[in-house]
Formats: sequence, structure tokens, C-alpha cells
Amino acid sequence: MPSPNERRFSRRQFLGRAAGAAVAVPTLSAILAACAKPGQLPPGVTQLLPARQDRPVTLPLYGREPIATDAPLEEGSTLQVYNWDSYLYKHTLKEFTAKYGVNIEYTTFNNMEEGIQKISTGQIKPDVFFTDIDKINKLVMAKLLQPLNHDLIPNLVKNVWPVYQNPFYDQHWRYTVPYVTWTTGVGYRRDHIDDDEVAAKGYDILWDPQYKGKVSIYDDYRTALGMALLKNGIYDLNTGSDANLKLAADDLVRLLDATNARVSINASYSAFPADEIWLSQAWSGDMVGDQYYLPKGVPTSVLGYWYPKQRNGEVNNDTMVIPTSAQHPVAAHTFINFMLDKKYAFENFADWVGYQPPQNSINPSELIADGVVPKTIPEAVVRQDDFKKGHLLLELNRDTDQLWFDAWDQVTSGG
Amino acid sequence: MASAVQEPAAPAAPPEPKRSKASATEESGVWYPKWYWPSFASPATIWLAIFFILPLYVVLSVAFGTSDPIFGAPLPVYEPWYWSTSSLTHVLGRFFGAAAFWQPALLRTFVFVFLASLLCLLIGFPVAYYVARYGGKHKGIYLLLLVAPFWISYLMRIFAWQSLLTSDGFVNYVLRILHIAPTPIDWLSGKPITVILSLVYGYIPYLILPVYAGIDRMNVSLLEAGRDLGASPWQTFRRVTLPQSKQAILAGLVIVSLPMFGDYYTNDLMGSPKTSMFGNLIDKTITQQGQGPRAGSLVLILMVILLIPMAYYLRSTRRAAEGIG
Repeated sequence: MPSPNERRFSRRQFLGRAAGAAVAVPTLSAILAACAKPGQLPPGVTQLLPARQDRPVTLPLYGREPIATDAPLEEGSTLQVYNWDSYLYKHTLKEFTAKYGVNIEYTTFNNMEEGIQKISTGQIKPDVFFTDIDKINKLVMAKLLQPLNHDLIPNLVKNVWPVYQNPFYDQHWRYTVPYVTWTTGVGYRRDHIDDDEVAAKGYDILWDPQYKGKVSIYDDYRTALGMALLKNGIYDLNTGSDANLKLAADDLVRLLDATNARVSINASYSAFPADEIWLSQAWSGDMVGDQYYLPKGVPTSVLGYWYPKQRNGEVNNDTMVIPTSAQHPVAAHTFINFMLDKKYAFENFADWVGYQPPQNSINPSELIADGVVPKTIPEAVVRQDDFKKGHLLLELNRDTDQLWFDAWDQVTSGG
Repeated sequence: MASAVQEPAAPAAPPEPKRSKASATEESGVWYPKWYWPSFASPATIWLAIFFILPLYVVLSVAFGTSDPIFGAPLPVYEPWYWSTSSLTHVLGRFFGAAAFWQPALLRTFVFVFLASLLCLLIGFPVAYYVARYGGKHKGIYLLLLVAPFWISYLMRIFAWQSLLTSDGFVNYVLRILHIAPTPIDWLSGKPITVILSLVYGYIPYLILPVYAGIDRMNVSLLEAGRDLGASPWQTFRRVTLPQSKQAILAGLVIVSLPMFGDYYTNDLMGSPKTSMFGNLIDKTITQQGQGPRAGSLVLILMVILLIPMAYYLRSTRRAAEGIG
């Protein structure tokens, strides 16, 4: 402690002087002169209506053309692939390099927002990007995507489900090709819970207090609230109804109270195979992939997956796109075509990713017979029909998105 | 940085600016230009401007700004005449309005931080006291051991705790064989106690070190004088040791409690939404598209909250420095 006699330059005096000096610095608004009034769409761009199954969207080209068909492949270059972690089989990538003489650099993002942000700021200039269908309008409006040359991607017409020959979210597939599909259901541990019990209870089993501490739901506002809507018989998964969202949010709060559920994006493929969680809101692809995450000696028969019998649950797919900033667009087209090849699409699915590509050649019953999908989770196989009977989480307009976020906010704020 | 700037025998502010030259000369015998002493503050001032004022202005611009119409990324508005307070109003409504579902998290933050800081003090003070007074020649080793946890990343240590605390983890195993808890306790399912103890665990070294330094600097002859004058050990502690170490304790408490207010990863890893704290509100708001201005508003509110303990600390150190504390 300084003695009272010691004259020190006190902290307060210091702060006072420093603040005085700081004021003398030129006004910051002058230094940081921003552009015109912010918050407006770029010139020439109009707001696109969110795509719906009954309201297909033809994405504008903004006067741009796809690359030329006879453009030479950038051999010896390095193709930049920007994707989720562990969402592509390394071996498949190596096969691409061996076949075409194009190296691949695989960069990952942690969530779609981060991925898009790094592309829009130019931090990353990928040749191929993997994105959800609810982001496509936005990516196109921001002119971050380039139109595809169909001649360079013959495998789409040849191999992919008819529903994707002219998808509602991108009519004439101007910018996107589908990558993989999934349904969202309930994963359960068959070593603890009977098939019959899950079949009888459906979504409700996640609310069952007897499984307290053993439940997880996804930490994703759309996916979690979407399930609560379905549980309550509300099938419009893109609803803008405040009452419906409040109902869903209240129900999720009840779920958290009843079961102390873990809210986690990775529980379905980490805590679930580790047997810490017995009941997990789960994407079908995570369940199929879980056979590789089970500890040694645990049979795949412990895995169970429930999806509504009428197949009217949540279903979706994601896409491969080529950003405008791609440095190797020909290689990018080649890579996309390669990933739609039935051999490589199947290998990527069956040996690594667990998420099923929409390939005509993939036969649901064979998948189970061949052991690609464990026998105990036949419901995890996605069928083309699911996209007719099921419901998709699609893009929301800003105000509706805000409602969804507010509802989720209420769930996760621990009232 | 402030404490590094000292001004030995600095002349008091001259009563009249016009006579400053004369008075400065009279006191020190040397003439300094008017800007001489203030210029000593310039490195710290520049630092403050670049690393505090400027970022703060950006936070303000985000909080009162807007978001990108396509992706909803925060779009700071640097011109104050375009500022809008709608986000701030909305956020305040979440705390105090009709739909105040953030209020529990706010109150929880205060309770958690208070309890965790108190525990830090109750556990940390004796440790610091022991090391400073009775550490003897092993003092260095003790200090080394206190700092040792920092060699391992906080995240790694918390992950270790996660596996220790799972329902089939080591902690539950020990509790079971000791017949304290026959059925496993679900430590990680949003138990306030887990989060509070994790906060204590994470921050306690930051309290021990300044308190140690304070006690170590204490004049032992004062304690001896207290005992000589007939005070019991408890009285000596209460009347001499405690007042003498008050500043160090305050410094330690400020150092641990300020970051606890903004902590979100401890709760992320050891708690659940049921134990959400202020930091979690900021975290989940800022990672959501289109919520940048609200996240900025939350940051501003947290800053205002933190100003209270900080102001108390500054006032208290000033009073102590002037010998009236």
C-alpha cells in the first residue's frame, strides 16, 4: 500500500487525462467514412420470394452466362472444396485427384453462417461450396454463385432422382445440384428402449420424464422448433404464426424441464453412440453414420431410428454450388459431376458420410440387405417419395425468421 | 498500464495557468514545458484510443446500426445521425418488459457471479495467506503450483471435468463407493452448483495471485504490534490483516468477477440452457443472422453493469491512496 504521503499519479487522474486526450482525436465518423445509407439491396437486385414446393423459384442470372463447355480443365491446379467437417470421404477425394490430375484442398466451416460469411468477405474463395437449400436465394441475390453449365454435369440427368431434375427451389437447376438427403426423426438406444414403446409414443418419447438426463435435441432453432410443431400436428414448418411458434416454444421448454435434455448439435453422433444419451433428435444420416462411432464391441443393433409411419416428418437435402469467386470453375464442374457418379456417390455415402445421395441406382431394400444401413434402422433410408409426403424447413422472410428466433430464444434462455 | 505511469514528485496542478511556469520552477527548480508531464500519458492514451475507444465506437455503431438485408450480417453505422435505438429498446424489453424472458438469465448471472466470487475469496484468501506468511523457502514452489493449471488450456481442463462428471464418470463412482450418492448425479444437466464451481475453478488463480501479492507486501511489524498491544489472533486478523489486505482483495474480486459476467463457455460446457448467463445471451444472439444490433446492445448493457463494480474499485483505491480509505 502506498503511504498517504506518497504522491502518486492516481488511476483516476490518469483516466481523466487520457480521456481528455482521446477526445482530441479527430471524429471517428470522419475516419470511418462509410458508404451510402447502409442496409439496402445491391443495385439491380430485387428481393426474391422464399421458395416453396407450391411456389417454385427461378433464380435470376443477372445477365451472366455459365462457363464455356470447351473450356480446358485446370489440370495440376488445386480445387478448393469448402464443406462441413467429415462430410466427404477422403478416399473419394483422392480418387478424384487420381482420375483428373486436380488436387483438392478441403476446408471446413462450423456452421452455414460462418461459411457464407467467409465467402462473401472473400476470406475464402472456394471452387465448390456445400449449402442448404434455404440459403440459395440469398447467395444468388448477393451474386455469390455462378450459373452451372449443364453440359459439364451430365450425371445429374443420368443418375439423380427425377424430383431434382427441376427442383422447386432452383427451377432448371441453374445454380445447384443436390448433394445428400436426410429425414429428421428420433434416434433411440435399443439396448435400453423397446421398439414398440418408441413406435407407440413417437415424438412424445423425447418428453418422457422417465428418460431424464438421457435426451438430446439439436441446437438449431429451425430443426428443434420444427419437431415441436410436427408433434403438435402443425405441418407448416415455415409458419409465420406467432401462436404456433409460441406453442412449439412452450412445448420445448416443457421438454427441457421434464428431461433436462441436452441441446447439442453433435450429441446424436457423439453422446448417443457413447451411450450417454438414449434418445436423440436425429438426422437419419447421423444414425447411419453412428455405426462407425459405436465403441468397439458394441453391435450396430443398439441403434434405433424412428420416423413417422406416414412418412410425414421433416425431410431435406443440401446442395453443391460453384461460387462466383471460384478460381477453377471447370474443375469445379468436373468435381460436381464426379460426385454425382453412382459409384463415387455410393462410396462416399456407404463408407463414410452416412447421408444418402439421391441416386436412382440406390435401392432402399438393398441398402439394408447389404448392411450399408444397419438392419435395425430401416426408417433411416430416405425414399424419393419422402419429398412428397414430408415437410421441408425452407427459407423464411426476415420478420418470420425473427419470430422463429425469438421463440427459440425463449427456449434457450432458461426462464 | 495505468499503474505503470507514475509521476514521482509531480507538481500539483498549478492554481493559475498563467503562473504555471513560475510555480513549476519554484517547486522542482527545473523548468518543464506545459506538455511535458501530460506527454507521459501519450503511449497509454494512444493504446486506449486504438484498442478501447475505437472498438467501443464500433460496438456502438453495431448496436445502433442495422444488418445486411441479404444475410443479416451486422452492418455498423458509423454516422451517429443514422443511429437507431430500436435494438436497444427491444433488448431492454427482454429484461424488463412484458416478455422479459431474459430477466432470469440476468438475475442468475448476478447470483452466480456473486457466489462464485465469494467462494473464490473464501477458498483463495487462506491459500494466499498461507503462501505469503508461511510459505517460507517453498514460496516459489507454491506459486509455481498455483500457476501450473495455466499450462493446460482452460478448455482442455473443462473437457476433463466433463468426463469426470458424466453420470458414469469418476466423481459419481467415488460418491457411490463412499455411499454418499447411491444413484449417479447428473452434474452436467444444468445444475447451478456445477456452473458456479466451474467458475470458481476457472478463475480462482486470478484471485489468489493479487491477494498473495498484497499480503506478502504487508508490514509484519504491524501484526506484531497488534499482538503486543493485547489483541487476540482473531482481533489482529480483523483489525490489522484484513484492513491491510482490503485493496488486494478488492483487486482480486474485480479481476475475477468482471470476466465472469461475460463468461459463456463455462456454462456452454458445464451447464445447459437452464443455467444460461448474460454471456450466453450475447453469444447466441451474435451467432444468429440479423441479430448483430441486438448483440451490440447486450454488450453495451453489460458494460454499464460492469461499470458499477469498477467505479467502486477505483473510488476505493483512490481513497486508500489518499489515506482515507
